Amino acid sequence: MTDVVVEPDSFEELYERAPCGYLTMTPDGVILQVNTTFLEWTGFSREQLIGVTFRSLLARGSQLFHETRYMPVLQLQGEVREVALIVIRADGSALSTLVNSVIARNADGTPKLVRTAVFDSTGRQDYERDLLAARRAAEASETRVRILRDAAVAFTAARTEEALAEAMVTSARDAFSASAAAVLLADSSGALVRVAGINPLEGMLAGGPSLLQSAELGERSMLVVRSAGDVDLVLPGLGHSRRAVRVSALSAVPVIDDGARVGALVCFFGRERELDEADLHLHAALASQAAQVLVRIRLQRQLEQLALHDQLTGLANRKLLQERMGEALASSIDGSRSMALVFLDLDGFKAVNDNLGHSAGDAVLVAVSNCLRSVVRGSDMIGRFGGDEFVVICEDADDVAARGIAERIVEAVRELQEGISLAHPVTASIGVALYEASDGRTVTPDDMFTAADGAMYESKAAGKDRVTLVRL
Amino acid sequence: MTSTPAPVVDAVRRNNVHVSGNIGGRPIMFAHGFGCSQEMWRFVAPAFAADFKVVLFDHVGAGGSDLAAYDRGKYDSLHGYAEDVIEIIEQLDLWNVVYVGHSVSSMIGVLAANREPARFGALVLVGPSPRYVNRGDYFGGFEQSDIDALLDDLDSNYLGWSSAMAPAIMGNADRPELGEELTSSFCSVDPAIARQFARVTFLSDNRADLRAVTTPTLVLQCTDDIIAPLAVGTYVHDEIPGSSFVLMEATGHIPNLSAPDQVEKQIRAFLA
Repeated sequence: MTDVVVEPDSFEELYERAPCGYLTMTPDGVILQVNTTFLEWTGFSREQLIGVTFRSLLARGSQLFHETRYMPVLQLQGEVREVALIVIRADGSALSTLVNSVIARNADGTPKLVRTAVFDSTGRQDYERDLLAARRAAEASETRVRILRDAAVAFTAARTEEALAEAMVTSARDAFSASAAAVLLADSSGALVRVAGINPLEGMLAGGPSLLQSAELGERSMLVVRSAGDVDLVLPGLGHSRRAVRVSALSAVPVIDDGARVGALVCFFGRERELDEADLHLHAALASQAAQVLVRIRLQRQLEQLALHDQLTGLANRKLLQERMGEALASSIDGSRSMALVFLDLDGFKAVNDNLGHSAGDAVLVAVSNCLRSVVRGSDMIGRFGGDEFVVICEDADDVAARGIAERIVEAVRELQEGISLAHPVTASIGVALYEASDGRTVTPDDMFTAADGAMYESKAAGKDRVTLVRL
Repeated sequence: MTSTPAPVVDAVRRNNVHVSGNIGGRPIMFAHGFGCSQEMWRFVAPAFAADFKVVLFDHVGAGGSDLAAYDRGKYDSLHGYAEDVIEIIEQLDLWNVVYVGHSVSSMIGVLAANREPARFGALVLVGPSPRYVNRGDYFGGFEQSDIDALLDDLDSNYLGWSSAMAPAIMGNADRPELGEELTSSFCSVDPAIARQFARVTFLSDNRADLRAVTTPTLVLQCTDDIIAPLAVGTYVHDEIPGSSFVLMEATGHIPNLSAPDQVEKQIRAFLA
């Protein structure tokens, strides 16, 4: 082994040829000094760089970051470390760097210089960018899956159209960061009515809802209005009002059941929004998931309707009557208001059935139920209690009102012609149970039915075709 | 639909509001821009303490704000931030407010003043831009691709994949951590929120709101500001009826840090 004499590097050489770029700048970022390494990396001459700002060497995106983040932190903290910035070389190519800076101060503490070291992070940066891109794509798809999964859970849990609509609004706001969202569903006339959420354009002009009514939304799978200018084109005349409610973009997707548009999910945005393909797919997927649940909810409602109504007359059946009787009594007690139960049994019905057959009997029952509908008050509930027995629940009725309703029924049934054979006339024997809540005594639905039934038998015994009233 | 009264919002707590200075004086409210917090005003605000009631706050997502109050829908446009400004002003019951907004907070102030003009006495817009992305004849200074690049830079710097993911992915746990310093106490921002705030800041278009301003307005323009170039500052001045315009010697985009004296001087001259 021979001793090798190593000449120490000169400070100047160390500065100029260090494996990183060195720059000295004014506190404002104007370059005062730069080393050879940085010049070689970037392809600039020293003359080109002295006197220009460091930020002017950066890519546009990095300039934004430099000004909004790097400089504030440097000036507040006195140093900033390992900030990833992209420098644009003299030939226009990009150089990924990591930058450290520290402020050197005057004796009085004011900033004197900024010393900066720049490291070439090309290999690492390319790798990072790839990873970032992959991570972003993974996160985006994970987010979409999460939103759809959460929506599926929330939608399925909905038991009513309103609950479903609320869940749709929540999902849509979550999915698209929408400032507002609304769910519109078609009413019996086919017009779209808001069921949940907020529609900032509602009632503003015919255009708001009519846009969503329009064939446009029915025909196209989706309506996307990306900027305020476009909103004004699609909804002419909104102008000032639109600005007042701060809507700059919107998107709407129809809820389709069996080829027909039964509703719409609408999102409103406070700024221009560039919804991409993935967003639009997600939007459509939410609407189609909701459509399936909506169909199920409506089917269930139909089944419930069937289970609580008499098939022949469409009137409430005994189960529904008993439920409603309980509710009516409770509200009568709460409000200290009297109420009445009218119990009706047809006279002569058995003869119709025996002599003319069951279909003639059914026709009589339908005729009587129509007759009842035409003489009771709008708020009264009519039901078929069984066989030829009918019931009317009259909330908020005193003895005068109750007796009046019962007398009108007796008279109307007596004069019935449609579906009635002259040889087999039909009349009504009625019992009325009147509950006067004022004395504070409570009664049960059974008490009411029993009392009304008893009164009806009194009418029968007294010669039929009449009204007997009892008080409870 | 039944409407329930809106819950009472504690805007002072949510936005980490600090009130100081001359409590009986005219209120002056400083609003920070994208990327930082109320610390941006550290060198300017104290200069007004003797004669003004100084109000500092953080936008939700920045500094000491309540991150739980962050609603992605609400803050998907500058209107959400403007709403907060109004709520702070109402909660503190401020009138004749001098609102000083830096960068994106200029436009937030414009939106707030347009909604509640009665509360505002003056607007000072430091480096305002109503739209950053060029469109047609309008020059904002940036292309959509520049904004996308900024979002990349944000991810590189904030998400710090290297601090959380890289060691795991690369089996190289001794790598120096990137970006850790950036999330330290200075100008702390939540990375995920910063991403959305960057989008909202740089992709909004509030040009149409300028003409509606009725509050006396000063546009403070820096020399050589790449974020809000001279042409943009001039545009803002031309669009806001009756506004004043001052081109300062200060360079860059953050005169509140680099030339606080000039900023103070111009505000005082405007209010005089």
